[in-house]
Amino acid sequence: MLEVSNLRKVYGPDPHAAPAVDGLSFAVADQEFVCILGSSGCGKTTMLRCLSGLTPATSGSVVLRGKPVNGPPEDMAFVFQDYSRSLLPWMTVRRNIAFPLRYKGVDRRRAAELTDEALDAVGLAGRGDRYPWQLSGGMQQRVAIARALAYRPGILLMDEPFASVDAQTRSGLEDLLLNVWQRYGITVLFVTHDIDEAVYLADRVLVLRPPANVGHEAVVGLPRPRNQVATKQEPEFGRLRGELYAALDGRPVVA
Amino acid sequence: MSRRVLGFLLELALPAALLIGYGLWAHRAGSFYFPPLDEIFRYFRELWLFDRVGSDLLPSLARMLAGYAASVVIGVGLGLLLGMYRPLRVAAEPVVEFLRALPAPALIPFSLLMFGAGNASKVFVIVLGAVWPILLNTIDGVRGVDPQALDMARAHRIPPGARIVRIILPGAGPRVFAGMRTSLAIAIILMVVSEMVASSNGLGYFVLEQQRSFAIPEMWTGIILLGVLGFVLNWIFLRVERRVLRWHRGARGLLAEHEPAAGAPSSLKKTPTPEKSDA
Repeated sequence: MLEVSNLRKVYGPDPHAAPAVDGLSFAVADQEFVCILGSSGCGKTTMLRCLSGLTPATSGSVVLRGKPVNGPPEDMAFVFQDYSRSLLPWMTVRRNIAFPLRYKGVDRRRAAELTDEALDAVGLAGRGDRYPWQLSGGMQQRVAIARALAYRPGILLMDEPFASVDAQTRSGLEDLLLNVWQRYGITVLFVTHDIDEAVYLADRVLVLRPPANVGHEAVVGLPRPRNQVATKQEPEFGRLRGELYAALDGRPVVA
Repeated sequence: MSRRVLGFLLELALPAALLIGYGLWAHRAGSFYFPPLDEIFRYFRELWLFDRVGSDLLPSLARMLAGYAASVVIGVGLGLLLGMYRPLRVAAEPVVEFLRALPAPALIPFSLLMFGAGNASKVFVIVLGAVWPILLNTIDGVRGVDPQALDMARAHRIPPGARIVRIILPGAGPRVFAGMRTSLAIAIILMVVSEMVASSNGLGYFVLEQQRSFAIPEMWTGIILLGVLGFVLNWIFLRVERRVLRWHRGARGLLAEHEPAAGAPSSLKKTPTPEKSDA
């Protein structure tokens, strides 16, 4: 689905400056849920910008479904961390969701269908005529997810999407995401700095160490569907947590 | 009595008191320069209901609106261009700063030479003065558009034209309107000033002509009409702004108390309980 090889990004004109991303390679399989775990400042955001084609990489390649990524690909949608800034306050929820569809060549009727379906999937049916600023933070992030879903992407990139909502809202959003991931059959690449979140959501967790490259990889064998209480009580959850904690710290992993 | 009516009466109180005060004072003073109120009103009715509306008020309004509309189009258009492209902005800045510093009335003699004594020269002077606040505010507004909204647009492959119309322009909207509001006042001023030089009709011409023929009450009626005109135009402008920028006040949490129709959502933001519906 997505193959990243030897990705390197140096900001500014000096090629010898410290790179934000260096020697990053990994692959994501179709319909896989991969979490990328990294502490702040390890180049997560730069990496995502290169993957999505928003920022050109200095060297290396990103290949999506056999096609190299040079600009934002059609088959990809992006959910940003700061929902309040990525939703347009002058458009209603419904228009925010339908807005990118118009330029994807989707006709009006189909766009309305996709919008309704996505609103329904994130549990916001009937809120389409509100404005984003009339909704709570968690609801706004659900609108952003709905916008990405309606776009019908093959792969969904998410940049710490739940970092700025409260804990309870966050668990709700995690379950909602897992639900739509399975329902829509999409591939998700989810960036987070939260170990629990990564283990709870992912099929596979990649630990990023500065300058952004994969320092450790953990396959999450926890059964699905996952459950906020039961899954987190499994011994395997605790083990993975310890493993990733060590990996994030840069200590040798005793697995 | 509702709060609305009370507020309206409160707004009315000071103007009414000032009018009555002037009326009483002028009646007793008998000054040539400050004619009594009833005399001004009599002339006002005679002249402006509706004898000179077609000959002076409408031409003035047409010039002002033409100049203002041209200022908006040029200011917003150029502002978008300069706001989006840094090299253009850097290149244009000294020229813009120079022209902006130039008092527009200083160019009235030149514009008379260029465009003659007709409408064109007056519209030119109005544009020359009114375009700057719109231009500069639009530039700032465009530069202040949230980069994340633009990233979102790029990530969703929204074409440049739509990005300008649907994201940059609305995002710059609050600043554009701030500039337009300043420019509205400037346009009215320049309308009057330009009509006082080499003109054969218009409100500015009327006021000057009455003064020259010592028709003082008549002169005052023109001044009063100008004040009313400015007041009404500003009122209309604010109504339009409120409508167009409703989202802006909403996003900043300023809608709650005046528009209970949208009440439920505003309370969502404050109370923690509805957040539970996310879980």
